[in-house]
Amino acid sequence: MKVTGEVKFQDLETGIWTLASDDGKTYLLAGGDRKLKKPGSRVEAEGEVDGDSLGIAMVGPRFVVKSYKFI
Amino acid sequence: MTRSAAVLISATFLFACSKEQDEAAFTPNDLTRPAFTIDELPDDASAHVPGAIVVDFKDGTTKAQFDAIESQWGIDLELASEEEGVDSAITVATGVDEVDEEALLARIRLNPDVEAAEPLMKLTASFAPNDPDYSKQWNLQMINMPKAWDKSRGKGVIVAVLDTGIAYEDYEDFKQVPDLKGAKFAEGYDFVNRDKHANDDHGHGTHVAGTIAQTTDNAAGVAGVAFEATLMPVKVLDAFGSGSSAAISDAIRWAADHGAQVINMSLGGGGRSQVMANAVEYARKKGVVVVCAAGNGGRGVVEYPAAYPGSVAVGAVGPKGVKAPYSSWGKELDVAAPGGDKSLGEEAGILQNTIAPGDYTKSVYAYYQGTSMATPHVAAVAALIYAAGAKNPDQVEKALYASAHPPAGQTGWSETYGHGVIDAQASLAALKKLQAEGDEALTVAPRLEQPAEITGELHSYTFADLNWTPLAWAVGLLAFVLLTMGRRERPGYFNLLFSPAFAVPLVLVTIGMFFFRYFLAPSELSTLFTLPIPEWLSKIIFGRGSLANPIVYSALIPVVLSIIAIKFTAWRPVIGGLALGFAGILGYSAWAGAPALAWLPFTFLAIPFLVVNAMVCLFVARAMLRTVKP
Repeated sequence: MKVTGEVKFQDLETGIWTLASDDGKTYLLAGGDRKLKKPGSRVEAEGEVDGDSLGIAMVGPRFVVKSYKFI
Repeated sequence: MTRSAAVLISATFLFACSKEQDEAAFTPNDLTRPAFTIDELPDDASAHVPGAIVVDFKDGTTKAQFDAIESQWGIDLELASEEEGVDSAITVATGVDEVDEEALLARIRLNPDVEAAEPLMKLTASFAPNDPDYSKQWNLQMINMPKAWDKSRGKGVIVAVLDTGIAYEDYEDFKQVPDLKGAKFAEGYDFVNRDKHANDDHGHGTHVAGTIAQTTDNAAGVAGVAFEATLMPVKVLDAFGSGSSAAISDAIRWAADHGAQVINMSLGGGGRSQVMANAVEYARKKGVVVVCAAGNGGRGVVEYPAAYPGSVAVGAVGPKGVKAPYSSWGKELDVAAPGGDKSLGEEAGILQNTIAPGDYTKSVYAYYQGTSMATPHVAAVAALIYAAGAKNPDQVEKALYASAHPPAGQTGWSETYGHGVIDAQASLAALKKLQAEGDEALTVAPRLEQPAEITGELHSYTFADLNWTPLAWAVGLLAFVLLTMGRRERPGYFNLLFSPAFAVPLVLVTIGMFFFRYFLAPSELSTLFTLPIPEWLSKIIFGRGSLANPIVYSALIPVVLSIIAIKFTAWRPVIGGLALGFAGILGYSAWAGAPALAWLPFTFLAIPFLVVNAMVCLFVARAMLRTVKP
């Protein structure tokens, strides 16, 4: 699936990276590479939601990025 | 010197008690506090100094009078304090025959010169750990730790921390963090790497474990809540803080089978898993209290595993006792605990010793915030309650819930705070009451799936901006409806618009009781009722902060009411106004980009949903307004 939105760093727990999608959802960012870690930048990301994953972030579903481009 | 101090404290206590009794007659019960205090509970026998009594004479009693009484009662009275002397007239007698003590006290109380007489109680100041950064741990004060430590420190209770591991040993290139030296550990397991060394390669688990049992009173670092409890490191999350539901379910059963009495899970996410729900149920049936974080989404969804039955779901508050913005809420929420609120500054986080992010061999003291940080406070207090003799998870949870403090101005259970912010000391007192008087002695507020009763100010309220657009939409749609009618069916434009039966519901549905804002102070109620009816219905039924609900944001209400109006024709203008109002607000919502609707699986469905429902409302309105000609 494709998600368009903003990359965010949130000072929660030990610090977490999220993707705030344009349709108002928050995904926990996973996959991709370290260049994706640019707070405030807008991306169009292709990937899958990992429905079986639990973790420390607890902000929303974990979205594993396969490919992305900044827009 | 110590004795005179003890006597003074004891005497002050006597005075305080008599004063309390006077006030009790006309002070209504404060329901935000437990219905008892620790002082009313059966006295701790160990606090009584054997063979010693305190006699407080009326002020101004002379030395000669004491001497006369001494020989009469056959005891040796000494003034409690040399400085105060006869002014305070408090005396202590030691070497009293312990068997006859009560009878002697009864006789002494009969003397007209005596104000009070009681056994001498030894009172000690609450434990204050010497950890240098203890003063930065506002969270421990908030849950009343200093007094609780006098009663229980969690000795012998095993708390399993299912997390990223704990920096608990020096093993290969892992290092124990210094402020866990001296803490007790049970053998754990690493479900990620499949070995016995559940060390932390992330930093989250060590911080959480620190809140539970950081080495305390060691003149280093910070303190922990149940520092005599035993930590069981169980690694279920990888170096990035993620794990699978299968591994976590296995770990829950493993911990329950290996002697854990409390399981702390500062983790969540994913969908409902029957396997994990069963694991939680299994652990609880084995006597394990399962404590989980409610979630950090700041939304009306309690994450799994916190939401499973049998799990204690914990929300977070900041240093002011107000719900932290990130803390999620919902009907499964059980209690709140300090989790930090760094919007108030770095030091408003929770401070513990952990490993550095990015270098698991380095120790740091870090302020973190999250429901993960709130959860171990509750797990640790559960350990204190177990160590104080609780028999099963029911007793532990009852003691926790009955003693929790709802936020100022609220009573009972709420979706945002559960039973309230935990209080370690009061929960131990609650357990004592439960042990002395049976499980029925404590009542826990029922869970209401609606906001708790509001008795005062909690938040500072402001009126939402008055938005006339939905009303404009409704009026526009009214014109449209009227135009679709034939001349003979059409009601008069003016007599309709100015009929209160029609206009009042129309206004209420689209802009609410907007006039309230001009003469009422903003409060929870007034800010609610100045909103359009669908909004306040949504909030009353589904709770503050909930998403717009598709049951309310639909044609359902007008359609149901229109069925009634088939028989009761006098209600037709009212239902017509209501239906037009709904059409106006639904149309406006769709046009303005649609609110996030709860329960709807796809966001893109919201706009068509609203449009279709607005059209149904228009149809209802048209049917209601049409003049029925004989």
